[in-house]
Amino acid sequence: MLSAQKNGPFSPRELKKLSVEELMNIEVTSVSKSPEKLTEVASAIQVITNEDIRRSTVTRLPEALSLAPNLQVAQSNSHDWGITARGFNGAPFANNTLADKLLVLIDGRSVYTPLFGGVFWDAQNVLLEDVDRIEVVSGPGGTLWGANAVNGVINIISKNARETQGWYASAAGGSFLRDYAGVRYGGHVDTNFFFRVYGQRFDQNSTTWIDSTESHDAWHMTQGGFRMDYVPGNSNTFSFQGDFYGGMADTGNTIINGQDVLGKWTHRFSENANLSLQVYFDRTWRDLTASDFSEQLSTYDIDLQHHFPIGSNNQVLWGAGYRMMNDEVENSISLTFTPAERRLQLFNGFVQDRIMLVDQELYLTLGTKILHNDYSGFELQPSVRLTCTPSPEHTIWAAVSRAVRTPARFDADETTPFITTRNGEFDSEKVVAYEIGYRIRPVQYISFSIAAFYNEYDDLRSINLNDAPPPALLFANDQQAKSWGLEFSGNAVLTKWWRLRGGYTFLDKRFTAKSPAVFSGSDLFEAIDPHHQALLQSIMDLPGNLQLDITGRYVDMLPGLPSVSPQISAYTTFNARLAWIFREFEFSAAGQNLAGKRHGEFGSREIPRSFYLKGTFRF
Amino acid sequence: MQNFAVLRKAAACCSCILFSVVCLPAQRTTSRENQVKAVFLFNFTQFIEWPASAFNSPDAPFIIGVIGNDPFGNYLDETVAGEKVMNHPLVIQRYKDLGELQTCHMLFIGQEDPQKIKTILDVLNRRHTLTVSDYKNFAYSGGMIRFYTQENKTRLQINLSIAKAAELNISSKLLRVAEIID
Repeated sequence: MLSAQKNGPFSPRELKKLSVEELMNIEVTSVSKSPEKLTEVASAIQVITNEDIRRSTVTRLPEALSLAPNLQVAQSNSHDWGITARGFNGAPFANNTLADKLLVLIDGRSVYTPLFGGVFWDAQNVLLEDVDRIEVVSGPGGTLWGANAVNGVINIISKNARETQGWYASAAGGSFLRDYAGVRYGGHVDTNFFFRVYGQRFDQNSTTWIDSTESHDAWHMTQGGFRMDYVPGNSNTFSFQGDFYGGMADTGNTIINGQDVLGKWTHRFSENANLSLQVYFDRTWRDLTASDFSEQLSTYDIDLQHHFPIGSNNQVLWGAGYRMMNDEVENSISLTFTPAERRLQLFNGFVQDRIMLVDQELYLTLGTKILHNDYSGFELQPSVRLTCTPSPEHTIWAAVSRAVRTPARFDADETTPFITTRNGEFDSEKVVAYEIGYRIRPVQYISFSIAAFYNEYDDLRSINLNDAPPPALLFANDQQAKSWGLEFSGNAVLTKWWRLRGGYTFLDKRFTAKSPAVFSGSDLFEAIDPHHQALLQSIMDLPGNLQLDITGRYVDMLPGLPSVSPQISAYTTFNARLAWIFREFEFSAAGQNLAGKRHGEFGSREIPRSFYLKGTFRF
Repeated sequence: MQNFAVLRKAAACCSCILFSVVCLPAQRTTSRENQVKAVFLFNFTQFIEWPASAFNSPDAPFIIGVIGNDPFGNYLDETVAGEKVMNHPLVIQRYKDLGELQTCHMLFIGQEDPQKIKTILDVLNRRHTLTVSDYKNFAYSGGMIRFYTQENKTRLQINLSIAKAAELNISSKLLRVAEIID
């Protein structure tokens, strides 16, 4: 219902709506004291809470991201999405989209693939019931978050095992979501040792082609996992978690599976000083049977963060990390990476100082990240942020930052009969971003935030005509772009039983080619984005333990790229959910994309109007 | 004339917004920690069952007492305003010291002195009063519910046997998230 980490005061009305678990999850000291939050104070952050997800028709993680008004979320088929912030949703390519400027972390574990610098969304599933919140930062997070956080960072944060005690069981069946079943049990061994285990499975039906014939992209996914939290005293916390999954799509055409484990230790020296160490391993595998291509990626990662004050005016945060990614592909005729197996190493370090210039009112945050990767060597990502909080109800912030997207295998290692990169020489893409924002809570139950940005990109990927074929085309860094836009969002608790949240985003950009060899359409290959989009979610409690929730979405038209992606018409659609709560049970009927029989969002497939029934038990 | 009316409305609107912007911060005296605790006190009335004999009549008030230091200010009053448990309207009473203490259904003890706490608990003995405090050893020294902070979040310790002895029936929903002390 509300973010446990929000800034500003809580009204009794807000707090009374929370369950005891949620109430226990409220951070009792203000946001700015917590080290992770320092980064977000001066940024365009929006939060999707567990309650926002529960009170929507969302059944999977990528769908949940469409509840963030500052993200461009477009579904390209039954299992793939193009998701980005501040634009640059790349063309739908081999069903996946080439969006490569967003960093996505699930409990601190990066899920982007060095294969193309984006995310395989079909493999990213979580038990939504146990998600605490999803933080979406639009704009560069380069200083703290590492490469790829060029246009934004998505942070999916699951609940502590302590907050998910007891049983949860849910089952659903319907037309597009054919069936879903999920179970979780949380228990404790001791008063400071908590655990949970979960499992879930779903079958999703196929989308259709534009001519309404079936497109054969039905899929299913089975996933399980666990989390343990151990708090031996006031100064140390340990958590250990893991997941495994397997699924199949497109009538056996794509098979995926994977496993991950993550351990984290945090030591608290004092209220303002702590140290955390995180280690994870992630293996993910996918096999595209029809095209004889497969990829196995194994990631080993270790990260250290230390936060401490110097005097009363400086808060220092520094850290270091190392990641090794072993990427093995089995090449097909049409998609070839050379060498087939790559061991990629990434070193990074960062330091940031938050300086209080005027007591509790004006803060200056200076920081930089330095990283080294195998393709482009050393990269520097500095940022300067200024935050002014004249009263707890107002925050004005401004920032200038530089971020890079380091080369992916798709850019540097690809050797197909049609396209390659000359000598594998591909440089990183760079952005300098100027941002300004304002957050206001005019009355206790209403908050708004507005952010404006102007980005200058250089060395963007381009497709060039090869003057010495074969192959006919080359990848190069010959594009520049400028983009600008506005993000508005709001949250209003209108009455005890009615809450509204939503937002509007405007985005525009202009590409320039740095070389006459740049193939026309190169710009659309990198970025197919709507100019306008809007979201409104209405969450309503009705008498008789009924809940009526409606989410409406407007997305402006997307330009077409001949022979790659058709033009997509602007669309308005809405999802609705009616639920009845009876003791520990919740029964709901949901309809998705109710405005039309079907509509296209990205690429040549269309998403159908659909319905499902769901029963949930929490004890 | 029409224009004037519109202008006046706009001015009234602006001053309303200005007023709320300027005045709201002034009301905020309760720390977030204590706001959360105040709402917990309210939640206790919803997740704990008192015996019918704890009330003189079916619509007698449900009294939440605060003795010693009151960390909640107006926040607690705002929290329970207009609320009821079954048919009992919620009422806040504040007692400066033991001499003022009256029969109440829940008592928050804003005390750190073990001796004073012991005296209060002795006075309440055998009554249907839920006792709540921040005091460190509260749940180990005859108190029922203690608030504490861990990882920057509010936690509960509940001494179940003492609550049971006072015929208070605590819902499993609350027990599940608390540390139980027996």
